[in-house]
Amino acid sequence: MSRNPSRLGKLFLLTLLLVLIVPVIANAQTSDENTLVIAQSVDIGQLDPASVNSRSESNIFYHMYGTLFEIGDDGSITPYLASAYKVSEDGKEWTFTLNEGLTCHDGEALTAEDAAYSFERAADPANAFTGNTAGFVLPAVGYLGTRVDDELNVTILTDRYQSIGLGLLSEVYIHCKDSYSAMTLEEAAQNPIGSGPYKFVEWVPDDHVTLAKIDGFTLRETTFATQIWRVIPEASTRVAELIAGNVDVIGNVPPDQVEAVNGSGVASVQAVQGTRRIYVGFQFGENFKDAPGYDALQKTDVRVALQYAIDVPTICAALLGTECTRATGLVNDPNGNPNLQPYPYDPVKAGELLDAAGYPKDANGVRFETTLMGPRGRYLNDANVVQAIAQYLTDVGVVTTADIRDWADYRQLTGPKEVGPMFFLGSGGGTWNALYDMADLSAPDAGTNYTNWQNEEWFTLWNSLADIRDAGQEREVINKMLEVFYNDPPWLLLYFQPDFYGVSNRLDWQARRDEQIVIYNAKLK
Amino acid sequence: MGPYIVQRLLQSVFVIIGVTLLSFLTIHLDGDPTYLYVSERASQEEIEATRAKLGFDKPLTEQYFSFISGLMRGDLGMSIRSRQPAVDLVMQRLPATLELTLFAMLISTLVAIPIGIISAVRRGTPTDGGIMLVAMFGQSIPGFWLGIMLILSVGLQLKWLPISGHVPVIDLMLQGDWGQALSNIPKAITFLIMPAITIGLFSLSRNARLVRSSMLEVLSQDYVVTARSKGLSERVVIIKHAFRNALIPVVTMLGLEFGFLLSGVVVTETVFSWPGVGRLVTNAITQRDIPVVQASVVVFAVLFIGLNLIVDIIYAQLDPRIRLR
Repeated sequence: MSRNPSRLGKLFLLTLLLVLIVPVIANAQTSDENTLVIAQSVDIGQLDPASVNSRSESNIFYHMYGTLFEIGDDGSITPYLASAYKVSEDGKEWTFTLNEGLTCHDGEALTAEDAAYSFERAADPANAFTGNTAGFVLPAVGYLGTRVDDELNVTILTDRYQSIGLGLLSEVYIHCKDSYSAMTLEEAAQNPIGSGPYKFVEWVPDDHVTLAKIDGFTLRETTFATQIWRVIPEASTRVAELIAGNVDVIGNVPPDQVEAVNGSGVASVQAVQGTRRIYVGFQFGENFKDAPGYDALQKTDVRVALQYAIDVPTICAALLGTECTRATGLVNDPNGNPNLQPYPYDPVKAGELLDAAGYPKDANGVRFETTLMGPRGRYLNDANVVQAIAQYLTDVGVVTTADIRDWADYRQLTGPKEVGPMFFLGSGGGTWNALYDMADLSAPDAGTNYTNWQNEEWFTLWNSLADIRDAGQEREVINKMLEVFYNDPPWLLLYFQPDFYGVSNRLDWQARRDEQIVIYNAKLK
Repeated sequence: MGPYIVQRLLQSVFVIIGVTLLSFLTIHLDGDPTYLYVSERASQEEIEATRAKLGFDKPLTEQYFSFISGLMRGDLGMSIRSRQPAVDLVMQRLPATLELTLFAMLISTLVAIPIGIISAVRRGTPTDGGIMLVAMFGQSIPGFWLGIMLILSVGLQLKWLPISGHVPVIDLMLQGDWGQALSNIPKAITFLIMPAITIGLFSLSRNARLVRSSMLEVLSQDYVVTARSKGLSERVVIIKHAFRNALIPVVTMLGLEFGFLLSGVVVTETVFSWPGVGRLVTNAITQRDIPVVQASVVVFAVLFIGLNLIVDIIYAQLDPRIRLR
């Protein structure tokens, strides 16, 4: 009796053939000479220019919408949709002169009225916009309203002088009034009508956004006819697509895959020192007054001593896959105080300073105990860095427990400042002005003053800046403030997060430090 | 049959009510959900106005009935992030997820049945041992690891299949663009294979073992011995007499299978950049976009319960003993 069901075997083989062999018509997804493919890890959430909430959104909006001026990678601020600007004598009125002949992508003429509308729409409480423009730029400049002076001149009214006003106002995406006032918020979130070098073609959620070059846009030189912004959340998949030649630029290359990219012969990694300030905050808020270590950490001497306990360059080399220079404050290069030197790693000195501050080691080698909260999955290798810092502190007798939470949970705590007694965090910064970085601590109750730092001298000096017009004098105040920050540190100073971009070898493009992917100027080699 | 269907329908309704209750309560787990809808800098007046506008100032029972009433109209609120109706966001992505889960079911069933039968027929041979070893291996591999390995080997090194992405078919069919949908099928399959294997391998392995054990049981039955003694060919004995009866437990598993595969898409869609509901849920959880999470849970639950109801009814039709119990 035969037990060999040969037909079943054939059926099985046929199935395998169907599954594995037939589709070997495979991958025809390679980029052509007119198409640039960029892969981001996160999709956009919506397409309203007044509601930009994430870097992945701003990267795409940057190409669809123009701004009055443009902030360059080197910190320069250059004319864009506006050709010139002037500030009133009291510093509270910023008047911009638009270029002639501007249009939005639906053909509507872009005039001063449209520029004014872009600000008014973002500021309108009825629209309840969150994100960079409504949530940061407008409050930071003390926005009061707009005035249309004539067809090409628009004035932005503020309640105080801000020497960084030009840069801040340059972050607002300009759009046309007629098209946007005709749409509901829901419609505007799906139908972008831009004013920049590329126009919107389609958005397939969680898959890609396609943009097409605007012929005749003369304010910026563009090369590629089409930009495709793909969404590839998994880092290994992004790297594989880059090496396969299907993608031209990817962000967030994991340090352990840098070698694989560089060895591929198809692409290479650009490592740039980013502008995101990574630090450990000391919590001064009273919510934590009963937490272990809180009292000790209120003392300046203790906080200074702890700076010597952390070997930042080793953390960078071992956990971030790159060399880095330790930060001396909250301001990015080259705008920091040149007289300040990074705290060196000197655990012996840390111990001596802690002894002097009244926290000698007990019989078990413990000075005091505390907790370091930190996120997982937000910053480069964040959870491991948090654990390393906890170990360094424990090594000098400050026994530190690392309390690591998933980012989704952790960020719910940072907003209401419910993190402490120590917490790990990153804060985006810029290269164009020290005050932009320092604006995190613009007031004791500022939303971004996560530590609730109350140093009176700092905030007095900050407020004095509103009366200063002279750049040299302003620089002196800035340097003084950075000294105050250095000597009474609310942060355990760490590093500026390095960013790793994977770039196809066919492309001539340089990544920026501020995490913004500006790629309209990319060219084929 | 009628009373059985009514009974199962009633059970399903209760399960759906339970799911909606749990789903409704998720938005209240973190305290006052109003704070999810306002910016960090919102004033007290703005917070109170938003609370009143969204009905969060009303008693929980009233809010729940309002939630159910919305659900009946297909309205589960607006996404906090994208300002789009949450149900619309789920329905936009559902076709891609269905393509993936259905294709995974197809692969796992088409492959599992023949290898399960071969393994049973060749019981105790190296072939049987090899198949069962591979099946055990298939049940042990974590999906995300398998996905990445497939990408690196089949996608990147061999270049047989695209690494990630999606070509729509069902979505185009729903839009009435049948021509484009049909022409997309060959390319869509190339994109489907790796993610479908990733989520389907566990089911494939389990089903292969199930078919094998079921076949072994049936092959030892008297009527199979009788069939053989009548001189019927082995092919006829296996296919016509044994296999049909061995298939019953496999059919039962298919309903549950769908739910299992749906739960697997959360990771697989992320690894393969598949624009389905799994990724939508992952992102919504990360961004605390609770209305989207609620809508996804309700849609998944209704799908799962509906499919199981159909399977139960078919099963009862095939095997009358079920509805008599």
